[in-house]
Amino acid sequence: MSPQPQAAVGAPLSRVDGRLKVTGEALYSAEHDVDGAVHAVIVDSGIGRGRITSIDARAALAHPGVLRVISHRNTPELPYRDNSGSNNPPGRRLRVFQDDRVLFHGQPVAVVVATTLEAAQHGASLVKIRYDDEQPSTDLTKAEPGESTTYARGDADAAVRDAAVSLDLTYRTARNHHNPMEPHATIARWDGGRLTVWDKTQWVVGTQTELAAVFGLEMGAVRVISPFVGGGFGTGLRCWPHVVVAALAARETQRPVKLVLSRKQMYLGTGFRPSYEYRLRLGSDRRGRLTAAVHEMDAETSSYEQFTEGVLAAGQMLYSMPHVRQAYRTVPLDVNTPIWMRGPGFQTASFVIESAMDELAHELGVDPIELRIRNEPSEDEAKGVPFSTRRLRECFTVGAREFGWHRRNPRPRSRRDGDWLIGMGMATGVYDTVRAPAQARARLEADGTAVVEAASSDMGPGTYTSQAQVAADALGLTMRTVTFRLGDSRYPATPPHGGSMTMASVGSAVLDACDRLRRQAVILAIEDEESPLFGVAADDVVVRGGRLHVQGDPARGETYQRLLTRNNRSHLEAEGSFAPPSGPERHSFYAYNATFAEVAVDATLGLVRVRRILGVYDAGRIISPKLADSQALGGMVGGIGTALLEHTVTDHRDGRIVNANLADYLVPVNADIPDLKAIYLDGEDREADPLGVKGLGEVVMIGVAPAIANAVFNATGRRIRELPITAEALL
Amino acid sequence: MSSTELTESAGPPPGDSGQSSATPTRRTFIATTTAVGGAVVAGGLIAGTSLVDAQEAAAADAVPSSRVSLTVNGTRRTVTVDNRTSLLDLLREHLGLTGSKKGCNAGACGACTVLVDGERVNSCLTLAVRLDGAEITTIEGLAEDDRLHPLQQAFIDQDAFQCGYCTPGQILSGVGCIQEGHTGSPEEIREWMSGNICRCGCYVKIVRAVEQTAPRK
Repeated sequence: MSPQPQAAVGAPLSRVDGRLKVTGEALYSAEHDVDGAVHAVIVDSGIGRGRITSIDARAALAHPGVLRVISHRNTPELPYRDNSGSNNPPGRRLRVFQDDRVLFHGQPVAVVVATTLEAAQHGASLVKIRYDDEQPSTDLTKAEPGESTTYARGDADAAVRDAAVSLDLTYRTARNHHNPMEPHATIARWDGGRLTVWDKTQWVVGTQTELAAVFGLEMGAVRVISPFVGGGFGTGLRCWPHVVVAALAARETQRPVKLVLSRKQMYLGTGFRPSYEYRLRLGSDRRGRLTAAVHEMDAETSSYEQFTEGVLAAGQMLYSMPHVRQAYRTVPLDVNTPIWMRGPGFQTASFVIESAMDELAHELGVDPIELRIRNEPSEDEAKGVPFSTRRLRECFTVGAREFGWHRRNPRPRSRRDGDWLIGMGMATGVYDTVRAPAQARARLEADGTAVVEAASSDMGPGTYTSQAQVAADALGLTMRTVTFRLGDSRYPATPPHGGSMTMASVGSAVLDACDRLRRQAVILAIEDEESPLFGVAADDVVVRGGRLHVQGDPARGETYQRLLTRNNRSHLEAEGSFAPPSGPERHSFYAYNATFAEVAVDATLGLVRVRRILGVYDAGRIISPKLADSQALGGMVGGIGTALLEHTVTDHRDGRIVNANLADYLVPVNADIPDLKAIYLDGEDREADPLGVKGLGEVVMIGVAPAIANAVFNATGRRIRELPITAEALL
Repeated sequence: MSSTELTESAGPPPGDSGQSSATPTRRTFIATTTAVGGAVVAGGLIAGTSLVDAQEAAAADAVPSSRVSLTVNGTRRTVTVDNRTSLLDLLREHLGLTGSKKGCNAGACGACTVLVDGERVNSCLTLAVRLDGAEITTIEGLAEDDRLHPLQQAFIDQDAFQCGYCTPGQILSGVGCIQEGHTGSPEEIREWMSGNICRCGCYVKIVRAVEQTAPRK
């Protein structure tokens, strides 16, 4: 087939769903108008570990409007089949209202269903629960580690010991909560044995399989609808217990039930980025050539599931060195199970490795960029294969020039602006180019418009827009005549909307479906004696603006509309798919960045203000530049939060989260955000996927926190090895 | 926006409104109130419109409630509300205006921002019963027919949102910010737009959108 002209892909278009979002017409999960829906409010456990001894629901039931109080006392046994294809980590998942055990503070222990929201909320406050409580264990630094994942090449311990220069550094990172602006919400409705849920999820297929497994249903008996997701950042990657609660409440009351988590409940049962204690030992020669690294890290998980994330890869492939040893231990605690949060694993590893590289650069008196270049590997030393594309040097060069890196004084505490100490720092970011099997369906109508469907989500990156751009070019249509639909388990299956895999995976499936559809139309034309394209080789036909014509001879052709109408075809339809190649990988796939930060630190108050950030990205091809720019800037804002503000605080006496709200868990607000700039290197990665993309959503956040930490060191001479970097730490 | 006057002397409760005998749903109730013009339909507890049987309706009637008359996006509405109902829940759960968002329900995030008598307020912290006689503007009332408010258009032009959930609140807050004259510099806009959290991190572009829309000084 001849390559299609690219008009929509790469163009700085506005969001196709922009109007819906600025007028309030976009419907998020709690906003679907489901007839007769009643309200459910979850009652959270008031202890951190133990057993429920009694539940007194009399006052709640007596409250006007309350219909039912459901708990383990009156819930039938639920099948809870295994769900091996899900995002449930190894372990035994929390089973809603199946026994009297309390595994963490805030676990759902009952639900109140009422005819009004006010009655359900008040009713939930009236349920009296007695417990036999035990001392919960929630302190990462004091608990016994559980499972361990290890990696080794060479003899890293000996090499660090014998190194000319060695560093032994311990870093800590706080627990972070995703805090999307839209709380989790589910409306559940049963029609006989069939269950429909309108749910906030980043994976409609995952929620569908989990509900089928929990309730013992066929997949086809569960439908999940999720056209708009008000932010996710990972919290929607699993079907959490509250979704089961909503479905259970609907089944027990035989009414559609709407269940919306409170902001506080968003901290109790929908995952988080786990806290780490991370010791890194580095060995290098006097010129800064790394010889060895030993990574030992402990991370939070729950007592009932072993959560892990990609915290090891960066330490294996980011810099060249013969000796590496890693031990990643998860520490079971009386908390709910963590879940991947933006840049999972890599975000934490990058903070540690990139801070340590800055420490080494300072120790050796080498420029931080130069140090990284001296350790640039020629291949992935863990996998023993070349990188598909790796343009970090270019990121450094462009970034240093655009940021004015030459103005940085390597001597800390050497630049002042009134009371403010000014510093500059940089860091490298890296994230895995994840790809997974995906499917899509495309349909061309006789009126020349097309609809493309896939079960994916759009939590904000702009999936509606970018997939329509891919489809429009592949079909030779304008953006106005293509509609992309997502967020329904009835559409062709897609992988989770996370891990930066949507464009590569779903986009490639959409491209395949649309290529097949266009080819059908081309073949219809060249085999049709009445078509001006009759007898032309298929490879010589292109489609532009809905009109098929001979490449290089625009006059010879006809429109889709005319072709289909003449052939009495109401429509053409094609299915497409994508799967990453099976077998051993011949390349190593990652997206990269160089991130630069300038901060001001109040010399007496320790207050840190970010002055500017620049990110330069090697992320492959950029499908939708206007939206990609927003995503990068948003990643920087997330990175500023992690670096300076975000910290979920637990009271270890009872396991309670003490700042489970947006007034005490600080996230960046407008006044925290200065001048941000993103630059994407032109290019594509032909080895990664048919679109040549490497994923954006994660890599744009990684590198921000260490760049800020390194800038704080340059400003103050103080090395803070714990996130978030607070004024107290700098005083 | 059609202007529907619901008078104090409104007729029978929804179940007796002369429509079909089936209990009206929330949406059909709203459709009814907007369709019948100046007549009828505001007597009963508005929350009761989704109730299924009389026993439940009676139970709901037992909670302390008040009658309040307010104008929402130019449409006069007289409703009887549970005294605990916030303006946000009145809009979202009872009037079907889900454009105003619930992000924290505690006044910390700004997603619920609406204009009350021209001032931006957190509707989650405002009890509906306080608003007798008030004029409310929500995101649904900002565009004039098909023509977007200039700030709505600016949000699209600048790509000042991603997931879109904070967007209605940001836009109403931006309208308030501009009316208050707090747009002298990007720094001033940042400060006066800091009551609205955007977790996707679109602040740079939100500032640009407000700047683009504010009158030049």
